[in-house]
Amino acid sequence: MLIEINNLHVSVKGTEIIKGLNLSIGPGEVHAIMGPNGSGKSTLAQALAGRSDYEITQGSVRYLEQDLLEMAPDERARAGLFLSFQYPVEIPGVSNVYMLKAALNARRKAADQPEIDSVEFMRFVKEKAALMELDKKFLSRGVNEGFSGGEKKRNEIFQMAVLEPKFGILDETDSGLDIDALKVVANGVNLQRDGQRSFLLITHYQRLLDYVQPDYVHVLADGQIVKSGDKGLALELEEHGYDDILAAANG
Amino acid sequence: MNNINQPVTEDFRAAWKNTSVSSPDWLQIFRNAALEQFALSGFPTTRAEDWKYTDVGKLAAAYPQWLINKPGADSANNGKPLDIANAIRIAFVDGVYNPEKSSKVLPENILVGKLADLATTNPEIIEKHLGRLASNSDSGFVALNSVFSETAVAILIPTGIELQQPVYIDYFSATAETSVQPRLLASLGTDSKATIIEYFSGAVPAITNAVTEIHCGQDSQLAYYRLQEDHAEAWHTAVQYIQLERNAHLNSVNIDAGAGMARNELRLNLAGEGASADAKGLLLADGSRHIDSRLTVEHAAPNTRSRERYRAILADNARGVFNGRILVQQAAQKTSAELTNRNLLLNRGAEINTKPELEIYADDVKCAHGSTTGQLDETAMFYLLSRGIPPQEARNILVQAFASELLTDTGIPAVVERAQQAMRTLRFSDV
Repeated sequence: MLIEINNLHVSVKGTEIIKGLNLSIGPGEVHAIMGPNGSGKSTLAQALAGRSDYEITQGSVRYLEQDLLEMAPDERARAGLFLSFQYPVEIPGVSNVYMLKAALNARRKAADQPEIDSVEFMRFVKEKAALMELDKKFLSRGVNEGFSGGEKKRNEIFQMAVLEPKFGILDETDSGLDIDALKVVANGVNLQRDGQRSFLLITHYQRLLDYVQPDYVHVLADGQIVKSGDKGLALELEEHGYDDILAAANG
Repeated sequence: MNNINQPVTEDFRAAWKNTSVSSPDWLQIFRNAALEQFALSGFPTTRAEDWKYTDVGKLAAAYPQWLINKPGADSANNGKPLDIANAIRIAFVDGVYNPEKSSKVLPENILVGKLADLATTNPEIIEKHLGRLASNSDSGFVALNSVFSETAVAILIPTGIELQQPVYIDYFSATAETSVQPRLLASLGTDSKATIIEYFSGAVPAITNAVTEIHCGQDSQLAYYRLQEDHAEAWHTAVQYIQLERNAHLNSVNIDAGAGMARNELRLNLAGEGASADAKGLLLADGSRHIDSRLTVEHAAPNTRSRERYRAILADNARGVFNGRILVQQAAQKTSAELTNRNLLLNRGAEINTKPELEIYADDVKCAHGSTTGQLDETAMFYLLSRGIPPQEARNILVQAFASELLTDTGIPAVVERAQQAMRTLRFSDV
């Protein structure tokens, strides 16, 4: 298994949001988590990435044979976990390439490798930017500074392409995108599917799953996974809405 | 007048009596008057509004003895001079001009030497510019500089001349418990252009009390940089007086990254119609250091423009003081001025007292001022961590980003690099 989440409970500011969640993802698998607003989708993503104000009150998470919950957020990232933010943060004064170079070199340093050659780095980064149809000018601009909503999301997937993680968590990367931007983002994800790399797609809508086909679909409600299935479950949700599924699950 | 610093004043009188240098009568009179002015005002106390947050009591107590202490033999210590390409280099060690560390040949329009000597060889220049803009009644420190400044630099740019090479003045303190009183006089002729860099650093606790007077003639352009990296237990006080005539333009960058107690003051006078200034300042402090930076911009003529951007980054238990005052005189219609101050406190113990002020006597003006103080943005921090960047580096990146607006488009890369290095080495406890 790449990641095994057992009986996870997460509280935010004293309120329990995730209430005993179980989920296992194997290498190369793509899982989608769907659910209504407030079901705990983003809390799960942030907690896995290690946000300090998300308190884990119970449960365990094994990631690549390590205790994920014992690892600092930057250690998790260097171990191959990547979070595509639902609301990417603007950081004026820090250029995209500067941040990515620092991120890559931090990985190399942890692996006792020398810093990346600047020329090689720029060539690599430009190649990935082209795949995401991200204009070169975005590379030298401040991180997400003045980017449109769609540009921010493309920038997230671009960063994922550069950092080449083992496990990508996409937190509502599709929301707010028009169909063209959605295709670019989906294509970016598909290009990174190599049979080894795993993904967790968190989404409110079935739309993304037309373009990135998941192996498994889970329905999250009130902090627990209430139903799991294959990609057919997403279509069922699209047709009947969450209410029917939740009623059936509860009944 | 009652003066609590009276005993100190007597010490300075004694020091002055023992300084037997031959100098022209007018200089003797100027200095005697400055001493009397100091006797009247003494050192500022925290009861004075302008010095409310900066206590110079310990500095005042040490000053008389450090004034008469002589530089030692280890003046060979070089410090870390700035590497500025193609610069005209003027170096001082413990207040003494050091020809070996300076450019071999100085242009004839730059005079360097003992103030008394220059006053003898070039009386018309020195008498014209010494005290032209600075007033000994502004503070006891200005008065003391006037009394005791050993050496002076005078830069005179003739009409229509663009000085291609930046003038780099390096002041280095190598002997502990000594003092220097540097005086820089500069005059830019009509339609001339110059770049001046003053760099202060030291290997030991010492006192630096600097005064700079720069007159910018009509249509002239000045780029002025001041970088202060004195020893962490040094005292540094400095004032720059810069006057801009018609359509003259100033770009200034003031960076205070050193000293245990530093107080810098930039006094701009936009005296001629159409004069403009872009003044930037950066204050960096950690430990229990104290940095006070002040800015006074007087708009005295119509259609003058100024933009002031000052930022402080404080760690540990450092104290910062920022006071920015924009004064628009009645004659200065169509003035536009914009003052912003942003402060970043990296630890709970760090503190800043900030006060941007506008004083406006003209009715057709566009003026704005604002100040914000905050901590490192936690969401930005988490974003960088989530990319695999370790916490200390992530913090450094955000600290650098906070100052980046001030340092972009800065013409002297060596100054930017040194400021960035100072930010990287700010010590701060984990938060």
